[in-house]
Amino acid sequence: MTKQKLVIALAGNANVGKSVIFNHLTGLHQHIGNWPGKTVERAEGTLHFKGYTIDVVDLPGIYSLSTYSLEEVISRKYIAIEKPNIVINVVDASVLERNLFFTLQIIELETPMIIALNQMDIAKKKGIEIDPETLERLLGAPVIPTVATKGVGIFQLLEKAVDMIEKGRPSTPAKVKYGEEVEEKISQVAKMLKGIQFWYPPRYAAIKLLEGDEEIEREASRIDPHLVSATKKLADEIENLHGHSCSTVITSERYELAGCVAREAQKIVPPSKPPIEDRLHTLTTHRITGYPIMVFSLLFMFYFIFAFGGYASELLNNSLYRLQPVFADLFGTALIGELVWGGVIEGIIAGVTIALPYIVPFYILLYILEDSGYLSRIAFLMDNVMHKIGLHGKAFIPMMLGYGCNVPACLGCRIMETERERFLAAFVTTLVPCAARTVIILGLVGQFLGVQWAFVLYIFNLLIIFALGRIASRALPGESTALIMEMSSYKIPQLKTVFKETGFRVAEFIKVAFPLIVIGSLAIKLAEVLGLLEQVAAALSPITVVWLGLPVITGITLIFGVLRKELTLIMLATLLGTANFAQVLTPVQMIVFTLVTMFYIPCIATMAALVREFGWKKAFAITIFEIAFAITLGGIALRLLSNVM
Amino acid sequence: MQGRSSDRLEMPLTTLRNGETGTVTSIRVGGGRGFGRGWGFEKRLMDLGLTPGTKVTVVRSAPFHGPLEILVRGSRLALGRGMAEKILVEIEKR
Repeated sequence: MTKQKLVIALAGNANVGKSVIFNHLTGLHQHIGNWPGKTVERAEGTLHFKGYTIDVVDLPGIYSLSTYSLEEVISRKYIAIEKPNIVINVVDASVLERNLFFTLQIIELETPMIIALNQMDIAKKKGIEIDPETLERLLGAPVIPTVATKGVGIFQLLEKAVDMIEKGRPSTPAKVKYGEEVEEKISQVAKMLKGIQFWYPPRYAAIKLLEGDEEIEREASRIDPHLVSATKKLADEIENLHGHSCSTVITSERYELAGCVAREAQKIVPPSKPPIEDRLHTLTTHRITGYPIMVFSLLFMFYFIFAFGGYASELLNNSLYRLQPVFADLFGTALIGELVWGGVIEGIIAGVTIALPYIVPFYILLYILEDSGYLSRIAFLMDNVMHKIGLHGKAFIPMMLGYGCNVPACLGCRIMETERERFLAAFVTTLVPCAARTVIILGLVGQFLGVQWAFVLYIFNLLIIFALGRIASRALPGESTALIMEMSSYKIPQLKTVFKETGFRVAEFIKVAFPLIVIGSLAIKLAEVLGLLEQVAAALSPITVVWLGLPVITGITLIFGVLRKELTLIMLATLLGTANFAQVLTPVQMIVFTLVTMFYIPCIATMAALVREFGWKKAFAITIFEIAFAITLGGIALRLLSNVM
Repeated sequence: MQGRSSDRLEMPLTTLRNGETGTVTSIRVGGGRGFGRGWGFEKRLMDLGLTPGTKVTVVRSAPFHGPLEILVRGSRLALGRGMAEKILVEIEKR
């Protein structure tokens, strides 16, 4: 036998340590991309073992193989169609029953499988003892106990997987057997399906048709429309018999089976005193202690990011601008030199000085929070608040991200379940003042009018977010969904995983944002060099001067702000010839200017992120809306404030 | 189970006090089988283990009508209140 390429797929619930195992297996040889045409992440890596080149695909963490989410459909299609040589089902030993429910579905897909019985340490702390041999016998698939966070059992897992690919299954896999009535219907449907070529095994297709699975129904009706109605009739018979829908009956029975296997393989002796993880959970979700802990953690996080970011950003900025003479020597200070420096290099500097100092620490802290499990507790505490804007607790996470930078925040909206919520969350997120906008709020209003005014603006911003979120959630078609989320046990975060995730996110940010930043800054520089900016500013004066009551040159700064928001302030200082804004702007003008920059447009990098996630049309819609909204708001604010101040 | 319905009460999960346990009887979402998000969420709850006949314990609820934390089949779930209201459980008469 020639040594060939093998493919191993990792499948399992979320939060079971799947990606830790993936990291152990593939080390640095991995890349994260998207599934073709989808916004679902695809992590893939390679490793060499016993002369094989093995591709490892980390499937998304899911609870079932139905059609609830894109992730589920992708996973099951991958297993059924691409047919990896073997599936490693990563199972959380501390929540065995629910994990086995997923395992049974992989068995139904009739694919070769071994089980990584992971998080044995957490299970032990909960007083759960599992006998791997019993589990192996009941499931008819090899079971390897692992503690992925400590690297325990990973080698054995890989060895067993390759061994099984080489020698075939050691035992016949268990058959997932349902109750008599259901089995009868399954075989009836299977008979109808005879001779029809499905992607899925016939028995699996039959079960899914009875469950009313939309994807397989579509597939089946293409082949024979009669098929779906015939299965529906059989499903109705089950419903009449049991008083629950056929899908419910099948799911229940599958869970019963998972429960039977779990009960036989595990022994639970609850520990006399709750483990520290449980006490921590109680403390962080408690109605009295939970909120102060959350506020304190978040404040600490933001303080750290801004303190570190401000320092590092300045350091980077200064050292990068030292390159200017070098470039001047190289390209001269004529048109070309201006374009190269002012257009391309300054664009890149803008990206670098924002991305690295703020986004990197932000991601590191965020992934520490996520990996430890605290993020899901925050979502639990904030669910109620997020409901006011038609979203649920999970949306608080991208919103929080937004205070750092809108770009990762928009990309982070993927954690929402439906397209509608992804869009709504992204819309709300673009209204959150990011680090760059914070620079303006604090640097202009905070500095010259006092911190209390900056605080007022933040509160006002939150109010606007709530108002617009509410309106958008009413206006968008479709229902809002509720929070359904697992809160898995607290864990000590794995720094390796944290750094790896951060690395990928930063790379993604650079890929999405940098090209547009450079193109945009080149275009604006070109306009500047050609003397078009003054004309644009003049053309904008009905808005800037007449409606908003600002100096004409703010038209120019607002255009620069599209590149990076804090440029509006820097440009303002340059064009006005002073950084002492109190001399040139009235307090009302400062507030109006800050309000407009706060809302008027997602910066170009955020637009890139929006386009990537939602397409040109929706990205354009958000942009246009926000421009119109900011201008309207600014004008109203001017008129109201002029009377008061 | 039906024969003893006289000494059992069917109620939404949200009426359970912290620490109380009930048995799921049904989930009231949408029009059952077929299309729409209602079906999707019912399916999701089932997939997470909330099938009829399953024991559910309410651990705590977040303040101001926030979500519930429940224990089901050994796993800890956070459930939006709106969703939890649609899950009917029965408990022994208090």
